[in-house]
Amino acid sequence: MIRHLLTLMWNRKRANGLLIAEMVLAFFVLFAVGSLGVYLQRNYQSPLGFSYENVWEMQLDPGSQPRAEQFATLHLALQRLRSTPGVEAVTRSNYNTPFTFNNNTTDFDTGKGTKKAPGDIYRVGAELPQVVGLHLLAGRWFDRRDDAPGARSPIVITDLTQAALFGGQSGLGKIVRDGPNEYRVIGVSGPYRAGGELSDPQPAAFRYVAPLDTSAMDLHVLLLRVRPGAGAALEKRLNEQVRQLNAGWTSGITPLAENRHNKLKQLLTLPALLGVVCLFLIVNVMLGLFGVLWLNINQRRGELGLRRAMGATSGAISRQIVGEIITLTTFGLLLGLGLAVQFPLLGVFDVPAGAYVTAMLLASGLLYTLAAGCALYPSRLAAGIHPAVALREE
Amino acid sequence: MENLLANPSPSAHASTQPQGRTAVPVLQLTDIEKIYQTKTIETVALNRVNLTINRGEFVSVMGPSGCGKSTLLSLMGLLDEPTSGTIEVDGRAVTSYSDRELAGLRNAKIGFVFQSYHLINDLSVVDNVELPLLYRPGLSGKERRQRALGALEKVGLSARTGHFPSQLSGGQRQRVAIARALAGAPEIILADEPTGNLDSVMGEEIMALLLGLNQQEGTTIVMVTHDEQQARKTQRLIRLFDGSQVG
Repeated sequence: MIRHLLTLMWNRKRANGLLIAEMVLAFFVLFAVGSLGVYLQRNYQSPLGFSYENVWEMQLDPGSQPRAEQFATLHLALQRLRSTPGVEAVTRSNYNTPFTFNNNTTDFDTGKGTKKAPGDIYRVGAELPQVVGLHLLAGRWFDRRDDAPGARSPIVITDLTQAALFGGQSGLGKIVRDGPNEYRVIGVSGPYRAGGELSDPQPAAFRYVAPLDTSAMDLHVLLLRVRPGAGAALEKRLNEQVRQLNAGWTSGITPLAENRHNKLKQLLTLPALLGVVCLFLIVNVMLGLFGVLWLNINQRRGELGLRRAMGATSGAISRQIVGEIITLTTFGLLLGLGLAVQFPLLGVFDVPAGAYVTAMLLASGLLYTLAAGCALYPSRLAAGIHPAVALREE
Repeated sequence: MENLLANPSPSAHASTQPQGRTAVPVLQLTDIEKIYQTKTIETVALNRVNLTINRGEFVSVMGPSGCGKSTLLSLMGLLDEPTSGTIEVDGRAVTSYSDRELAGLRNAKIGFVFQSYHLINDLSVVDNVELPLLYRPGLSGKERRQRALGALEKVGLSARTGHFPSQLSGGQRQRVAIARALAGAPEIILADEPTGNLDSVMGEEIMALLLGLNQQEGTTIVMVTHDEQQARKTQRLIRLFDGSQVG
């Protein structure tokens, strides 16, 4: 029967051309939205590598204070903030703090002509692990030993950077380059995805900002770990302390949890819209399919009556109609898959091949389900055709 | 494989039922009534028809248009149910049979030939002939193909197996339809005006084929026809008028 269905559908491929084209289109819409969905879901499930609860971001604005005086004020501010009850740890950071839309990317390599690994670079203080709960996997984090300027600055890389630059080997003690700058790897940390849950896991590295490093005066962002339950009162107090140091200075505090919420909301808007458009298209495809099948069955009453006369049960007729639409779906899918498979092969959009393959499987499964669902009622109609009447009509 | 066209019947009234041999009823209709009912009209298509078709018989059914010939054939072919009365196939009443049982019986015992051929245009000749075998359990694809080719050889269409119905003449199409009816090796062939759409030469050819089937293979044939000449070539003639058997 399968061979018969294949022969029949193949011979009717011209008549069913539009239906097959509709299947290909539906598959692509499902595949595109599915790929995005799977990609985001896989990212969401990957570990962030840090904790954002009870962590606040504080933006400092030195106003019109002369640049030469800013460092001393900042140093004092850090001391005051650290000693404020309710604050557990404070670290300096550049603007690419977790969940902001700022990033600082570079191409890491290990020497001239070696493989490059694009990734994020963060300039942070020695307290970052205490503030955000970053895990160190090997080596050490920055400490006083790194305060004195040396021949090569220290750097801590994430495990993903280590894998990208050194394969299966340890990167400890080795040189990592960021353009013309060379660093010696002193530690390897777990993942750090400051871009948030939906960001692509990619290599990252941390550069050290020593407490007395006046060259890093653009680092006017602080990350603070506060006691659980700290709220508006502590926020007000921290802002006042900054103002007390210098009337020209202002500050603003946002909890990382709030930044995360805002970022997720913004990033999910587009996929949600795409999902709605996809749903609308799929409903249209379903209605089209349903209509075409209905018409098809009315045009084939004679053939279906003949099949009943030849010994087909009503169940066999019903199965044939569903089988035909499944066969057509398979033709459409084969065409769609032939094109879709180019995406992982060519590495389009840098989405992992696994996400594309999962999306292909999901789109195929969903399309088969939709097609079978649309064929169910028309197939019952076909099964109910009275053979004697249908044969007489012809 | 014997080609039935090679040995058309020379005798118009030849019988495969030698005198003295006991007639074995293969189809028996008792007190058959078929009434089509709508909200306002009741149409009696068949009125108390009693009929026995014996194994090996070639029976023709005649009557004016609308007298119930095709309805009678549909009932014999188990495609429709009578309003009252009983139908027996090989001595078994089939009135209470399920859809599955009736379908099985149609597939195993009955072959159909229609005036308008009822071939599937998107299938090749051999695929059309294979159609009844698709619904017969236990047959392999190879076996189906062999049987279909055998049936096509019988009707002299071995050279046209890969053609499509649209590439054939009316007579050839009807021969394909007969091959399709033969492929399942049925005991009974029900032919509804098989020569109705053909010119006289083609009609004679198809009639010769049916006679050959009946005489050489002993297939029971019931044929509805408007053609008195064709009807006279069969062993028995049943006349219907306004749903009643008149002869």
